[in-house]
Amino acid sequence: MNDLGKALAKIAFEERGADFLLAARDESGNVAPVLVSKGEDVGDVRIDVPYQLVMVLTKLYPWLEKGKVAIVTRRCDEKALNELTKRGIFDAKRIIKVGLACSKEQVAKCRCSDPVPSRVDFGEPQKAAQDELSDRLLKMTAEDRMKFWIRQFRKCNKCFGCTTNCPVCFCDHSCVLEERELVAEKSIPPGVVFHLVRSFHLADKCIECGECERSCPADIPLLTLRKMVNADMKELYKYSAGDEKAVSPLLTTLEGEKLEDDADVC
Amino acid sequence: MSEFNPTILAFCCNWCSYAGADLAGVSRLQMPPNVHVIRVMCSAAVKPEYAFKALSEGIDGVLVLGCHIGDCHYLTGNHRTKKRFPVAQRILRDVGIDERRLRLDWVSAAEGEKFQQVITEFVSDIKKIGPNPLKEVKL
Repeated sequence: MNDLGKALAKIAFEERGADFLLAARDESGNVAPVLVSKGEDVGDVRIDVPYQLVMVLTKLYPWLEKGKVAIVTRRCDEKALNELTKRGIFDAKRIIKVGLACSKEQVAKCRCSDPVPSRVDFGEPQKAAQDELSDRLLKMTAEDRMKFWIRQFRKCNKCFGCTTNCPVCFCDHSCVLEERELVAEKSIPPGVVFHLVRSFHLADKCIECGECERSCPADIPLLTLRKMVNADMKELYKYSAGDEKAVSPLLTTLEGEKLEDDADVC
Repeated sequence: MSEFNPTILAFCCNWCSYAGADLAGVSRLQMPPNVHVIRVMCSAAVKPEYAFKALSEGIDGVLVLGCHIGDCHYLTGNHRTKKRFPVAQRILRDVGIDERRLRLDWVSAAEGEKFQQVITEFVSDIKKIGPNPLKEVKL
């Protein structure tokens, strides 16, 4: 166990009374998620790589019948937890957040506009960064913008990496992108419709973690597209995803309306 | 060169707009023949995905017609539509597709003339915008 692991275990188990701890650790040079219960060795914890722990938690959560789970959260993870809690996937009382402020390099890589978690336990808070590509795209004419995106989308090989690794894509068996009426079965590249539909479905829940862009083997600037749509949502409805106070997820419910039982299906 | 004749899809809600279209037809109102009407039970049943699919397959314009706000047969259906479609339009704009290719409007069962007017306007707008560039693009 490295020093970071010790410090993390101390905060999670001793100070905040967690029963489990979810973190990312070193596994022979690679980074892998690990879930340990109280008293177990957490191993060489790493916080330099933005590992999508929330996604791992979504998968493990049904198996953890009781007890509190501590999880290392960056600001984006925190927002993802809020979004998922709103939709009834997590019980907020059972989740303990250990705040991690991203490094300057990481903020720059994500062009993150909101990098500081509500409670910082590790790391130094950094200033927000700007996404230059989206500014540049919005200044272009529509025709140039379309050319740009067509060139990008043409690289897509429909690996579904962006969907599988997305912390807020929680539908297990009913993903709209697998509907053959919308995205044809043997279509590679899948066409503009794939990306348009995905943008729409994430419009009210994308927390700009950038995992789609990181996992894209074709290097499509998906995070920029997400950021553009999120800016639109802010302009239209003053809504930003991951906000604890906005209780009703925007596009599936009307204002003040309660969520129905099937809220966890897109 | 022959004149550009757009292909347009119009999703009409069963309770108002489809009846409005019917009235327009019965009243023998003249309108451009470019529009394919699809009857849906409610404008909220039209997922923006359908509009995206249509546009990416090369349809020149998509028109979504519903009951006026407050008149929805299902009480809140068109409120939902009103909330979703502006977002869909913004997404189209972000990708560089003219957002005027997707329009949301309200036509009641008694408004045969408004139906004619909406269709005529939309067709002439789309003629001005020109053919959908995605028709030519092979992804």
